[in-house]
Amino acid sequence: MNAMMPPLVAYQILAGILFTIGVVGVLVRRSALIIFMSIELMLNAVNLSFVAFSRQHGSMDGHIFVFFVMAVAAAEVAIGLAILVAIFRKKETANVDDVHLLKG
Amino acid sequence: MLETVLFSFFALTSVVCALGVVFHRNPVHCALLLVGVLLSLSGLFILLNAQFIAALQVIVYAGAIMVLFLFVLMLLNFRQDPDVLTPGAAKGFGFLFGLLVMVELLWTALSPNGGEGGGLPAAPPLPADFGSPAAIGKILYTTWLFPFEITSILLLVAVVGAVVLAKRKFA
Repeated sequence: MNAMMPPLVAYQILAGILFTIGVVGVLVRRSALIIFMSIELMLNAVNLSFVAFSRQHGSMDGHIFVFFVMAVAAAEVAIGLAILVAIFRKKETANVDDVHLLKG
Repeated sequence: MLETVLFSFFALTSVVCALGVVFHRNPVHCALLLVGVLLSLSGLFILLNAQFIAALQVIVYAGAIMVLFLFVLMLLNFRQDPDVLTPGAAKGFGFLFGLLVMVELLWTALSPNGGEGGGLPAAPPLPADFGSPAAIGKILYTTWLFPFEITSILLLVAVVGAVVLAKRKFA
């Protein structure tokens, strides 16, 4: 539609960078809450990719997928934070290294 | 030209804020930086003719979900940890794995025939109502009606599960 628009590949590179930052966050942070935030970061990178492809192909199915991803993310955050609160009540910590009940 | 400037601005803001989310010491600052990422992504959505999704992003993500995060953050009153990053070899492996993921994703995005990013023709002209709530609602309630109903059940399960988890007494 517009020749001056940034190309699809620019959006893909940005989505890749954001996804990588989310992956690193999940792997190197110790606080369960920050790990949740990094997961949100990854979901958003994928959403950006969906919307960019949707724009490229002129089809709105990508927007529908983003809609569903947001619904699933909301459910995930509600349950995840409830679990986090339950763990914090029992162990007084949200540090994932200190929660090792299954380790034997 | 304006699109390029706006894209660069939003892309830079989102990457800087995302790095802040992962590496900042104070969890409250991390949450606020995540709001920054979400808002700049909603700007990018508007650039991509997805007005409805951009509005949803601001209302649902930057509004509802982040309020939940900040609520739990203040409710639990985390103490400041001296070392926020996981210690020892796990940290090194984390960064190494992140580098591998980055190389792989960029390789896919930039390869001419593997990904779709290479020599694609310019995007086709869009219909006037592309990305509008009316157009999205029309396909959401026809083509995607069944997944939509499943989503409502998923949200119901999440609500019930959160209440059960929050009420249960742990010995």
